[in-house]
Amino acid sequence: MNGENRSAGSWLRSRIPINEQLLAAIGSEPIPGHLKRWWWCIGGTPAYLFLVQIVSGILLTFYYAPSQELAYESVAAIDEQIRFGWYLRSVHKWSSHLMIATLCLHMMRVFFTGAYRAPREANWMVGCALLMLTLGAGFTGYSLIWEQLSYWGATVAANLLGAVPLVGERLAEFLRGGPTVGQNMLTRLFVLHIGAIPTLMMGCIAIHIYLVRAHGVAELDPPKERKTFPFFPDHFLTELALALFLMFLLTCLALIFPAGLAEKANPLETPEHIKPEWYFFWAFRWLKLMTDRTAVVTQGIFLAVIVFWPFVDGWIRRRNPRSEAGVACGVAGVALLLALTVWEALASIP
Amino acid sequence: MTLEKKQTVIIALAGLFMLSLLLVAWVEGGRRRALRAPDAVVTAENADCVDCHNVKSPGIVRQWEISEHAGTGIGCLQCHAAEPGDVDGYMHEGTLIATIVTPRDCGGCHERETAEFEASHHAKGGEILGSLDNVLAEVVEGFTRFDAAGNKIEASAAAVSGCLQCHGSEVRVLESGKLDPATWPNTGIGRINPDGSRGSCTACHLRHNFSRAQARAPENCGRCHLGPDHPQMEVYQSSKHGIAFEANRARFEPLMEEKEWIPGRDFEQGPTCTTCHMSATRSLPLTHDVGERISWTLRPAVSEKIDAAASKQGKSVKSWQDRRRDMQNVCESCHAPEWVGNWYEQFDNLVNLYNDKFGRPASQLFQQARASGLLTPIEFDEELEFTYFFLWHHEGRRARHGAAMMGSDYTQWHGMYEVAHRFYMEFVPQLRDLIAHHRDGSKAAAARRLAADLDETLNSEMHRWFLGKTSSAELAARAAAAEEFKKRYSQ
Repeated sequence: MNGENRSAGSWLRSRIPINEQLLAAIGSEPIPGHLKRWWWCIGGTPAYLFLVQIVSGILLTFYYAPSQELAYESVAAIDEQIRFGWYLRSVHKWSSHLMIATLCLHMMRVFFTGAYRAPREANWMVGCALLMLTLGAGFTGYSLIWEQLSYWGATVAANLLGAVPLVGERLAEFLRGGPTVGQNMLTRLFVLHIGAIPTLMMGCIAIHIYLVRAHGVAELDPPKERKTFPFFPDHFLTELALALFLMFLLTCLALIFPAGLAEKANPLETPEHIKPEWYFFWAFRWLKLMTDRTAVVTQGIFLAVIVFWPFVDGWIRRRNPRSEAGVACGVAGVALLLALTVWEALASIP
Repeated sequence: MTLEKKQTVIIALAGLFMLSLLLVAWVEGGRRRALRAPDAVVTAENADCVDCHNVKSPGIVRQWEISEHAGTGIGCLQCHAAEPGDVDGYMHEGTLIATIVTPRDCGGCHERETAEFEASHHAKGGEILGSLDNVLAEVVEGFTRFDAAGNKIEASAAAVSGCLQCHGSEVRVLESGKLDPATWPNTGIGRINPDGSRGSCTACHLRHNFSRAQARAPENCGRCHLGPDHPQMEVYQSSKHGIAFEANRARFEPLMEEKEWIPGRDFEQGPTCTTCHMSATRSLPLTHDVGERISWTLRPAVSEKIDAAASKQGKSVKSWQDRRRDMQNVCESCHAPEWVGNWYEQFDNLVNLYNDKFGRPASQLFQQARASGLLTPIEFDEELEFTYFFLWHHEGRRARHGAAMMGSDYTQWHGMYEVAHRFYMEFVPQLRDLIAHHRDGSKAAAARRLAADLDETLNSEMHRWFLGKTSSAELAARAAAAEEFKKRYSQ
């Protein structure tokens, strides 16, 4: 028996030449001791939720029909006719919400602990790209349902894109695939949602993880005596527990708050109140306070400051190494986003 | 946390996750059960019916399960229960029931709809039994046997499976209590029911699910309104309305199941038959009297305004102007008033042209031939009778229906062209043969009068071209107009 195992093992190794020592080294990579605290694992949470999104998304795509006439009906069929369709769709929806929430928390942790500082500036920017791609996935996925609010949300978004200086109109027409929101835009949203965005996200996640590995995990206050623990099994088990907890949480959310379906999109009837998903509340409220052009430009500036923050912070710290201006800016930014979000949420209560 | 503790946490979380998945499976099971019978409420009195028919005729139970009736507890006996003394009532598994559900039964709940329907031309569809069409189906095409006492003992299969399936049979209950197979099954719109009521709701609302989308589908009306004598369905399909509906059908169908499907509000193009003739608009209520918005009757040999017959009998009915105003209300859901007005002018002109040029003269000449005895009193034993029938009943109607519902090919090639061909190449020559046949006999005077009237018709303004008597002024005007047209467009 052992002889057979040996021969089968050597047969496989000769055809798939894996460096076992390298594998063992990766598995036992030393992890900083502070990662034993659960809340430091929040970076892995969106990655796991992304995996849930991919699996549930593939299964949903088996049944979703990206056509103006059938999109809404196919979502309704997933909810009502397809076996476990409602569960899959609810898990897909809630994992997207949790993914965005945990990404925001992760970025706040990185920001306020200064983990973006040299040499990790590039990884911060990759993280920013991941956040934007995730928001893009949220927007495109929500629009695919083709219900009244999602349809008109997509219409508003396309109009907003048109407010981008110089290239706005061309960008908006490119997204819509014509002068109005219709089949062409639905096709574009579908391709972006199931193809382009996930592919880009996978690339960004790979770079992100590689850079984390290359630079090592940032530490808040580097201890005098460095305490570490191996990735496998210690940290692996932590991530596994987290994954199980998330699956339990997602299942509970799906059972208690299953993904619903509102009125079907009617291009002839603009709803009295249009509102996007909660993670765009801040942007929507901002939009209501000024003209489209001003809102889009200021949001662009805000986004640029976030993306290039490591360099802004570096400039501040070069001028005054003890300055807390960066933290103050972060607190002000988060407070502003939260205030706008809460304002819009309260305003949208009928 | 030690590794051991971590393992314990993982096992606990895995257990919780599995438990939550079991809950998902349980919820899914419930949803599957609900899907099989969505909200169907089987009351105690209907339980036995449902249980038995679930085995014997499960289709009707499935139909009922997906109906709105099922969700409100309206079941088998709410519609099929009979009262003692009902002609068609019979004991079935210990319960007195009737097979036929008549408008009177439906009217128990749907009072307004039933009253509107009973006032409609649809409800009178069974009266065709005594009309010309029935001579065709019972004598000419078919065969009916009577006993010595004059009782019909064998119905014409042509009538039973043909005319009566749309117009409605007079349902008879045999002495055995069973329904006469010559009269039932039948869902003709003007069925004469054993309880004395007229009509059949299931003619349009297919039992037992009574889907609104099905009732609003053009094919529903097309079951009867089609064919060579009244091709409303084909006219509609070839019209822009029909094309627009078919192009957007997949988008419309879910909306068509809603209680209201209002043009201009719930959809923007492609009305179906019910939209124009029955549906509510933004300012009109829904009606089950399909003639409510019709201003012309296009059925007879000579069209007249829809209220003309009633007015002649001194009856007070909704005027044709009011009916037209209501139809225009529907049109204006999508068209401008001027467009609608112009369109009605085109329609009126076509009907008047048919009436004045062919319908009225042909009818007068034909009736004169019959009244004066030049034709035998037997219907459809002479070629001229078929010729005249084709002219108004088939081709004349096609032309008018084409104009009424924007099926231009039915107005022209299937309509007026064939009317003209029938008139000039068959009707007139056959009249001339008839006159020649009787010129020297006992009916010579009648033949001379008919010849004079035919001569007068052919020499009239509309027909004189046929005799080569077009005035030189008209010929010159036509030639000049043609030349001018060529100059403008043919260079």
